[in-house]
Amino acid sequence: MSGPGALAGLRVLDLGDHRGQLAGRLLADMGADVIKIEPPGGDHARTIGPFAGDEAHRDRSLFFWFYNLNKRSLTIDLTHPRGADLFGQLARSADIVIESFAPGRLTAMGLGWDELHKINPSLILLSIAPFGQTGPYRDFEADDTVLAALSGMLYVNGFPGRAPVRPLGLQAYHSASYYGAIATMCALFARDRSGEGAWIDLSMQEATAAAVEHVAGSYFENKIAEPRRGTLHWSRFFRVGKCRDGYIMHCTLGDWTSLIEWVKSDGKSADLDVPEYDQVLHRYANAEHLFDVLDEWVKDYGRDELLERAQLLRQPYAIVRRPEALFDDEQLAARGFFVEVEHPELGRTFRYPGAPYVFNGTPWRVYRRPPLTGEHTAAILRDDLGVDPLEVATLASEGVI
Amino acid sequence: MAALPLEGIRILDFTWVVAGPVATRILADHGAQVVKIERKVPPPLGNRKLGLQCDLHRGKVCAAINMAHPRGVEIARKLAAKSDVVIDNFSARVMRSWGIDYESLVAVKPDIICISMSGLGHTGPRSSYVSYGPTLQALSGYTMLMADAEGAPAGYGYSYADMCGGYTGALAALIALWNRKRTGRGQFVDLSQFEAVTAVIGTSLMDISVNHREQEPFGYDSQEGPSAPHGVYRCRPREGDDDRWVAISVRSQAEWERFVNVLGNPAWAGDARFRTLYLRMRNREELDAHVARWTIERSAEDAMATLQRAHIAAGVVANGIDICERDPQLKERGFWPLVETWRGKTTQVTGIPFRISSGSGSIRSAGPEVGENTDYVLGDILGLSPAERAELIAAGAVWP
Repeated sequence: MSGPGALAGLRVLDLGDHRGQLAGRLLADMGADVIKIEPPGGDHARTIGPFAGDEAHRDRSLFFWFYNLNKRSLTIDLTHPRGADLFGQLARSADIVIESFAPGRLTAMGLGWDELHKINPSLILLSIAPFGQTGPYRDFEADDTVLAALSGMLYVNGFPGRAPVRPLGLQAYHSASYYGAIATMCALFARDRSGEGAWIDLSMQEATAAAVEHVAGSYFENKIAEPRRGTLHWSRFFRVGKCRDGYIMHCTLGDWTSLIEWVKSDGKSADLDVPEYDQVLHRYANAEHLFDVLDEWVKDYGRDELLERAQLLRQPYAIVRRPEALFDDEQLAARGFFVEVEHPELGRTFRYPGAPYVFNGTPWRVYRRPPLTGEHTAAILRDDLGVDPLEVATLASEGVI
Repeated sequence: MAALPLEGIRILDFTWVVAGPVATRILADHGAQVVKIERKVPPPLGNRKLGLQCDLHRGKVCAAINMAHPRGVEIARKLAAKSDVVIDNFSARVMRSWGIDYESLVAVKPDIICISMSGLGHTGPRSSYVSYGPTLQALSGYTMLMADAEGAPAGYGYSYADMCGGYTGALAALIALWNRKRTGRGQFVDLSQFEAVTAVIGTSLMDISVNHREQEPFGYDSQEGPSAPHGVYRCRPREGDDDRWVAISVRSQAEWERFVNVLGNPAWAGDARFRTLYLRMRNREELDAHVARWTIERSAEDAMATLQRAHIAAGVVANGIDICERDPQLKERGFWPLVETWRGKTTQVTGIPFRISSGSGSIRSAGPEVGENTDYVLGDILGLSPAERAELIAAGAVWP
């Protein structure tokens, strides 16, 4: 692959911790120069497992690897005056700073919006905080689970009458990071017009609440609190069913006639074979019963056979697969989804999940493996900041870098 | 008021259901003109002036154009030539059959950006699979990993695949537009919603790939480093509602000491089985039982406030009423803004989760009814006269 990435020429200083690190990754994948700024000793994310070979080491965290592909790493102590000073110098020519410190912390270090805006008026500062920079919860503590709770996401997961089930995959952090990348791009467009940078105040709680908007939608439309419904999707058109050899996802949004003909030919249509079920609204209103009958129908099928026949009839059924299956998935293989990333420090190459989108002009790309702790410190200080090699040595011995 | 960041950008929107509309909603919130093309006989998905459908369609204009009619297709093609981005969520053949695919449009408008947000992508042996967010989640492994204590899929009330697809779609449009501004070149983006949603299990995929480890459901294991107690605990009923819970996460030793202190230093907390984080993780069931005996004595709100005063991560497991009516944080930040529906009436909608100091996004109108803006789209954008518009309606190319 050749040619610059879509975001080539943009420099991002990424102070985002384990909560905000996906935002910078999304920009790095498209060609922005994203410098992860870490405290000496490495970012907290490097302590989060799993680890390659189960060896707990800051350069072997798979959690860190996934979120920091394509970034460079500069370790610097921002609480040391010279550290803050060097960061300020980098900020002078950067386009974007991403941070997810507790609100006020950056200002306390002398690197808040007012200071950064003064040294670089066109700089965009993306602040991602659990509850944003204002309001009564501003200083509340939260992890992803607590954010999922306070945003209305956790409550709707699981079965009625039982404890709610925690949503998987750090969705609060992910939602905030997607919005963070989107907000940054919006601020870049605004900067093109005015020349002025901007401070973005992004709330993880709000980003998560916006990711379950049927909860708010139902409340504002019908004044009801959406309940938990087990595996029944809120739309009432999807529910998990059990086949002979595992689980499948039913869907009643395909062509109803061909589905019910199939069920009927298996002798399992029970009372569904009446014209009322042609109506989407009838299927909505009688969803639980409908899926009970369909569960009875699929229970003797093998999953693969059911899926193949369903898709031939253009029924949007799916197998509830284990994640391991993705590595044998023909569709992902044909599209080259998994990419090989070389780790020369380990003498190995690993398969990483790849691009969510194929840009035909400026492709998503692997530029570099996730950085070792402080891997690019010396090069950045020397090439970008022109720091005297003797000073680099003294800063290193003082533990500033 | 400052101009919105995307003012002057026009998006021609063929998407439907959730993921596509989420993508174009985000662009509309930030000033793009989103022109939604659809049939007058849409699936009955609800009222676009209220609730979720309003959230999905707000700020857009909608033209009811009959794409089964050759002249309807011709109108859509003319609109595409006057747009910056054309976005759809069909499989490859649909846009091609209309001549509104990237290859056809680039001949008319060399810098066009086309984004297709199909389920499984435009290439590959399964590209024609029919899918929705929940079925893509099932295929991705995400559904399987979200199991209850008994190991059976416990579902989720919503489809994160749709959201993830929507965010990725909006970001793709912004990145492609940025690149076009710098280089003058458009491009085609083939987004697979399936591939996009795998990000949510990215670390699990890395663990499979690198360590060849079979993944197990996480339950209430923290995914960001060890934590115990970590989970939801039942609280005192509120106004007859006994489905009240508080989420608590205690990570460091210092947090544990503060936690024990807040609980009044009960005797059980001194038990050797809870002395270190490792032991608390090992003996979580006993630990959780003790914590639950504390939470059941108080309201979820009180448990949260008490723990937060000691800087312990805790939050009400909020339901729809909690987030929309009671949560003081969302209220103070104005996260549920009012938008006009019809005849001076208003409704609350979901806000934009970030403020930009140089000019935040804004929600300019409720969702349009199907075809609410057909006249505007044909008249103001395409410059067709009233007589021409009437003739198209008579021909069945557009709906009145």
